[in-house]
Amino acid sequence: MQLNSLIIDENNMGFIPSTGATFQLNETGKEILSLLKDGVDKDTIVETLSKKYNIDEKELFIDVSDFLYKLKIYGFEI
Amino acid sequence: MSYQKPTINRVDFAMASKYGSPLKTQKIRENINGISVRELTEKYGSPLFVYSQKEIENKYNTLYNAFSSRYPNIQFGWSYKTNYLNAICNIFHKLGSIAEVVSEFEYEKARNLGIEGKNIIFNGPYKPKEALKIAVQEGAKIHIDHLFEINDLEDIADELGVTIPVAIRVNMDTGIYPQWSRFGFNYESGEAYEAVRRIHKNKKLYLTGLHSHIGTFMLDANAYKLETAKLMQLKAQIEADFGYEIEYIDIGGGFASKNHLKGVYQSPEVIVPTADDYAEAITSAIYENNKSEKLPKLYLETGRHLVDEAGYLLTSVWGYKRFPDGKKGYILDAGVNLLYTATWYNFNIELDKRYEGINEPSMLNGPLCMNIDIINENIMLPALERGTVLTISPVGAYNYTQSMQFIRYRPKVVLIDNDSNVHIIKDDDDLSTINYKERLPEYLELNK
Repeated sequence: MQLNSLIIDENNMGFIPSTGATFQLNETGKEILSLLKDGVDKDTIVETLSKKYNIDEKELFIDVSDFLYKLKIYGFEI
Repeated sequence: MSYQKPTINRVDFAMASKYGSPLKTQKIRENINGISVRELTEKYGSPLFVYSQKEIENKYNTLYNAFSSRYPNIQFGWSYKTNYLNAICNIFHKLGSIAEVVSEFEYEKARNLGIEGKNIIFNGPYKPKEALKIAVQEGAKIHIDHLFEINDLEDIADELGVTIPVAIRVNMDTGIYPQWSRFGFNYESGEAYEAVRRIHKNKKLYLTGLHSHIGTFMLDANAYKLETAKLMQLKAQIEADFGYEIEYIDIGGGFASKNHLKGVYQSPEVIVPTADDYAEAITSAIYENNKSEKLPKLYLETGRHLVDEAGYLLTSVWGYKRFPDGKKGYILDAGVNLLYTATWYNFNIELDKRYEGINEPSMLNGPLCMNIDIINENIMLPALERGTVLTISPVGAYNYTQSMQFIRYRPKVVLIDNDSNVHIIKDDDDLSTINYKERLPEYLELNK
């Protein structure tokens, strides 16, 4: 599945029209997806969020890795 | 906007049932008896077993009142195997319980705490002859499990030149499946009656009591009514046929706690009988079946029901990982080495605070390098942090006594008293605990 096929609404619900698959995200999840759709790579996402939220990069690397792994498990191409 | 760990969950519409969505529900416990779980782990380490004296006393008083308000002659015996930490035993002894033991080790423990032999019930299928002899000399209540034990006791009677008061353990059908028939003599087949005839024949022992223990985590109070009725009928028959005066009946233990058995759909609040349910079933059966002028003394060996809900295990999140099936796997610092009963129960698992975000399917694993180290295989949890303290309960029964020294040291155990003071009642293990009593042959020593 292409990430671009995922439409996310203002309530953080994601929907893929072609399959009907529905996802629930939180704010940070939505933020990472938006960065991925813009072609931003993993290390840059970590760096960006680290600066924005003032959280250690090493900690954020774990959370972002986990999130990207789950996207892969759901069948998204990243 | 504050940071939330990123989460995405595929929405499974099958999960939205009439019970509501589990995606946002969180069970939270910030403290035990007013003491913060975070403070407890910071001060005493994690994992940590915590017992509440107040909860033990509440349970004891509720059960005791349920029985004593219906029956004039009640005696509780604290089931040592359920939890034989000295402090826990002595809480029950100070409340009025005698000791119920099932091995020579437990017998020694009770004696060491200052319990007189006459206040010890000695159960169990394996009673070494030397231990039996001491129990006889000290006047313990001996509950015979099999015919070999009758022979052993008769030998001891000869050796000491005494006649020994005894009880027999009786197993029976009370409609419970599986029926516990391993211990004692069977009622329906006449084996129990035959055991009494055998005791009576040699006149070296004399029968003063009847005992039965029909099972564990009994969710049907009526089973106790049947048990008690059968014991009372056997009592009447024995008194008539052999002239014994049966002073007491002991209906054993097995009352359930508010724990959640795996595979049981309803919540414990719905299916676990109350103290009044158990008391009414048992005492009414005595009144209905009593044929003597004197009512027998009633002994109970309740363990789990009295202590399970007073015990908690605090454990901390050490890390997490994502499994290939999408589930989140948390690594905790406590596992099945400390929670032996995790095999049978879905424990109540509570978070130390509210966590932002949506729940996702998770698994809780312990610290052991063993694939079986699973505390909960399927639990909906929000994104937890390293250091999150989880409170697992009820774990007061059978967990500490069956916890293993395996891979990690066993943790401290603390007791919160009625004034909310915290006492260490057992220190954590260290290498000297493990090496105690080990011997290394000289030729195997290194660097020699």
